[in-house]
Amino acid sequence: MLRLALSQTPEALARVAAMGDVRHAILLSLEAALITALFSGLLGVPLAYLLARARFPGKAVVAAAVDLPLAVPHTVAGIALLFVLGRQGIIGAPALALFGLSFWGTLAGIVAAMLFVSIPYTVNAARIGFEAVDPRLEMTARSMGLGPWSVLRHITLPLARRGIITGLTLSYARAISEFGAVIILAYRPMTAPVMIYEFFLRFGLDDAAAMSVLLLAISLLLFILLRALAFGRLAAPGAGR
Amino acid sequence: MSGAALALEHLSLRLGRFELRDIDLALSPGEILVLLGPNGAGKSVTLETVAGFHRLEAGRIRLGGRDITDLAPEHRRISLLFQNFALFPHLTVAGNVALALRAARRRVNGTVTALLERFAVAELADCLPETLSPGEKQRAALARALAAAPELFLFDEPFSALDGPTRAGLRDRLKQFLRESGITAVFVTHDHAEALALGDTLALLRAGAIVQRGPAVAVYRRPETVFAARFLGVENILEACFAGSEDGLSLVAIGETQLRAEARASIDARRPLSLGIRAEDVVLSRGEGAGDAANRLGATVTAVAEGGALTRVTLDCGFPLTAALPRREALALAPQPGMRVCAEIEPAAVQLLG
Repeated sequence: MLRLALSQTPEALARVAAMGDVRHAILLSLEAALITALFSGLLGVPLAYLLARARFPGKAVVAAAVDLPLAVPHTVAGIALLFVLGRQGIIGAPALALFGLSFWGTLAGIVAAMLFVSIPYTVNAARIGFEAVDPRLEMTARSMGLGPWSVLRHITLPLARRGIITGLTLSYARAISEFGAVIILAYRPMTAPVMIYEFFLRFGLDDAAAMSVLLLAISLLLFILLRALAFGRLAAPGAGR
Repeated sequence: MSGAALALEHLSLRLGRFELRDIDLALSPGEILVLLGPNGAGKSVTLETVAGFHRLEAGRIRLGGRDITDLAPEHRRISLLFQNFALFPHLTVAGNVALALRAARRRVNGTVTALLERFAVAELADCLPETLSPGEKQRAALARALAAAPELFLFDEPFSALDGPTRAGLRDRLKQFLRESGITAVFVTHDHAEALALGDTLALLRAGAIVQRGPAVAVYRRPETVFAARFLGVENILEACFAGSEDGLSLVAIGETQLRAEARASIDARRPLSLGIRAEDVVLSRGEGAGDAANRLGATVTAVAEGGALTRVTLDCGFPLTAALPRREALALAPQPGMRVCAEIEPAAVQLLG
């Protein structure tokens, strides 16, 4: 990575950054990944809570299914998604008919591909976060007079927030870097990894490397900022309330 | 069961392979009950059931005349306190109390400040729980518990993470607080010394059922079964047979030796039985004893173990017997392995176990 970063002159970076397409692709990547992280939280955190706390038949199967996207090649994941979300897919067809929502070559498609491969990170990290919360604290809160939702809000979520935030950050990172599933579901509009691939095919290594370094730099800055926000100032004593 | 502060009526439930069977107990107002038993006996499950965290298969729970069997935990007005008092680690002391006050909107018991002052933790209001000493944690937890004005306190091994001296100090202060406030409480512990120090009444649990219960001192003095005797710290448990009665006392034979024991009506004379003798009830003196009416036995010392306040002397008097001597007596007797001594056991100290 360092070798790659050092290979670039500021002029080369500036030239690539000045291209409208490049800026657009990077912004699209960041935007789609943010929406993905949002959905990861909405879907993944409740699932993580269930896996950590509830007892239900088939729990082991669900837990294994959550990890499945980590095990398959992402091109395979993309093709599988295409079957479900494509124009004739069991979700794709009604989505198109009812809401005019298409996953083929759209932002929705990019988000779907990113979500599929990145939600396991949120589920797993948040699950560990929830499992680390002593159930006796929750029982104490219930016996004090707090209802189940209040306990979740005042006790469980604040105590599990480290795991949840870690999971969301990982999902966000994974979403930005996703290439295989995205390229199958939505080659266009072009996200940064797809455009880097295209640059590589059309213009050769130099332009692809310059854009890669640009994406690396922006991602790095972003994650430093995210971590500082999540675990620095906000994690100060009493901030959980 | 009228007049009872808490009545558990024939509670039964199943949790996986664990079963709670026919738990039937009643507490009068201000009474402190201790549930005692080994790990896995069902003490904590019983407590959590009273607090409302497990669904019953049968039975009713009444608190001050209200039937609370089907109420959610947050509506029972029962305060549950765990090991280390389970303060919420992400909230300050004041935050812990404030959350309890907010939860109890309609039955608010004073203000945060008033509660903190009452338990002398006002100056710790802005501290996080991890910075508190065990004593401060206990006081903060009691302030938090009282905020919800509960009718019953449940304690699940509150002292189990503490060292000996701290433990005894906190235990005494907690008992004093409960007494002064007239609070009805149930404790769970596996430590019989703690049970005796805290409880008015004891219920001994084994495998999900109550095996013995009664006033704490009576249960301690008169365990009814081998299990109860072992669990309550009786060191000498001996196989014996019933050999008749004499002067209102039962005669029991351990091999060649006969001992006199206080008679118990429920003993079945035809069956072999067990005897329990507390090590501290065996009195040693120099000289010979001969199985006479006062249960004076000739014995040979086989081993001596220093144990601080008590010295443990292992004896052979036809059967193995352990005596625990207070320090002064041990110094006066100076027992050595091989020494002949006289071991004396009052008939009242010989327990017939079912």
